[in-house]
Amino acid sequence: MDGAVGASAPAPTRGRRASLRPDAALGRWAPALALLCGLVVVAATVEIVLDGALDHSPVIPKSPQIAGWLTSLGGEQLSQRVFVIAILSFSAAYAGLLALARIRARAPVGDRTISDRPSDRPSDRPADRPADRKSARWAIGLVALLHLIVFVGPVLISTDVFSYIAYARMGVVHGINPYLHGPAAIAGDPVYRYVGKDWLKVATAYGPLYTLLSYPLAPLGVVGALWGMKVYALLASFVTLLLTWLLARRRGLDPVFALLAVGANPLYVIYGFGGAHNDLIMLALMMGAVALTLSDRDVAAGAVVVAGALVKATVGVLLPFMILSRRRVAPLLGALGALALGALAGYAAFGSHGIDVVSALNRDAAFVSTDSFPNELAHLAGKPGVFPVDHDLLKGALVLIVLHLLWRTWRGYDWVAASGWALLAIAVTSTWLLAWYILWPLPLAVVSRDRRLLAATLFVQGLFVVHQTPPIFAPVR
Amino acid sequence: MSRVRLVETTVLVLAGLLLATATVDDVVRQTHINQRLIADLRTWRARTGHDYHNLWIDQIVLGEGTEREVVCGNTSPGAPKAKIQLCLAVWGPVRDGRRVVHGGWYLPPGVEDARKDRYGCFGDVPRGICPSSASTAPGTGRGAAPTGSGSGLESRRGGHG
Repeated sequence: MDGAVGASAPAPTRGRRASLRPDAALGRWAPALALLCGLVVVAATVEIVLDGALDHSPVIPKSPQIAGWLTSLGGEQLSQRVFVIAILSFSAAYAGLLALARIRARAPVGDRTISDRPSDRPSDRPADRPADRKSARWAIGLVALLHLIVFVGPVLISTDVFSYIAYARMGVVHGINPYLHGPAAIAGDPVYRYVGKDWLKVATAYGPLYTLLSYPLAPLGVVGALWGMKVYALLASFVTLLLTWLLARRRGLDPVFALLAVGANPLYVIYGFGGAHNDLIMLALMMGAVALTLSDRDVAAGAVVVAGALVKATVGVLLPFMILSRRRVAPLLGALGALALGALAGYAAFGSHGIDVVSALNRDAAFVSTDSFPNELAHLAGKPGVFPVDHDLLKGALVLIVLHLLWRTWRGYDWVAASGWALLAIAVTSTWLLAWYILWPLPLAVVSRDRRLLAATLFVQGLFVVHQTPPIFAPVR
Repeated sequence: MSRVRLVETTVLVLAGLLLATATVDDVVRQTHINQRLIADLRTWRARTGHDYHNLWIDQIVLGEGTEREVVCGNTSPGAPKAKIQLCLAVWGPVRDGRRVVHGGWYLPPGVEDARKDRYGCFGDVPRGICPSSASTAPGTGRGAAPTGSGSGLESRRGGHG
């Protein structure tokens, strides 16, 4: 849908009632089914966190023992097979929750039907009814519980958080510029042994704002800094989810559905939040920029997009869509102001390397991960992997997609959706795809006016999960 | 539905089908690779006579995509790579759940599999894999009575982003 669609509908006719009967029957079972799905989601999370708290799991990075007390609660070492089964169960239950949330939003109430389609009429907004307030409390409780379970557990899946800490300690404790050297420069530091070995000689690719944000954590020691990173991730997730809820309401969409779609998403909870990735901070700033734009605070919106790009450059892709959509120079002025400030701060703290995000992006764009779609397509074509010429083809395809989206935005297409498509296209065409990259479009997808974006994002995430399944069929141990 | 939207949706569906096909194809391919790796682990355990689990496999040393792998493990009980390690070069078809050992080498405790650290090379190891002066094993016997426990295959998952 390209534009707003009214939510208010006349009372269902007899024929309409007949067509709603399966939904109505399902609606009676919906609370029990939702409870069942919620239990599966929580159980899968508990399984991963409890088993992951034990040492020597192949899916848990080497880490200081921050969740040792969980080992007294039982569990077994988390094998890849059990992890994949837990993620599949989580994903299936998540799909069930979303389906039930949609049915709930469409269920007739009294003499009107509440739609999950956009409406600008506050009285039609879902979650304003008493029954919906109960659903809202339930959804908020579920998402909060998932976050609590993961927060108290070990770092999941990725060593990235130790790279963040290493870069911070390089700058603060050792006086070494993290934009010039990799963690190998601090081989005697206690965090060194936890950094992923592929990244020991790699300088930071993150923006100067993020690096400066991480600096206050450096003197806390490795464990203190690790908890600090977890708190950052928790706060960022809270802001992202709060803004997702508010923006969904503002756009006449169902906030309960939006909250569950993001906050109970298995990749968001386990991979993104579980790894305390700085992508969550980027997402929080991204949603802040969207909220400011919808409040007509264009200068601030442009500035916040740039702030997000100074955490992780990818989110900068929102800016042209925002400017085209608003047809004002205000977002551009805000962006330029923030860029000048950020560049000044980055240069003062790190020299010219601290503001050279282009070379860092080019370096990362050359990496290839086993989960990337270009790599899978290369295998499908009978090639051993991605060749340099493929990188150029992928960049060309991405440019074409972005140009098409810019043209569509100029013609009136929802800029939030266009930004989400661009982020999804970046993830899909990237040869270096990690689970938390396909989270980028998700918050935009749930508040956009084009439901195809959410379907496409969830489809791509589903393919990512399917790609993790070989250990089920042939567990190597 | 506007014409542009129709074209977009068609392209999206086709792209989705292509990605889904590539994903399923890759899952099947990776499953076959896993079955080969399982055979490699069985081969190491059968050759050494010890049911270790702290083994690790390298798919690059003998050539990526060649289906030639190196399986390494401790020669005595201990944490991963904490003891002298025995590495076996295996390739060929899987028969009875195992593959043929064509050669191998030893590694000192606590090191990665770097060429300079290899010693006691034996069998049909490709030229250049071992240092030229590494033909004898100082103080270690091949298959030196390993018994012990471990917790699993070393993982190279995870990433940076």
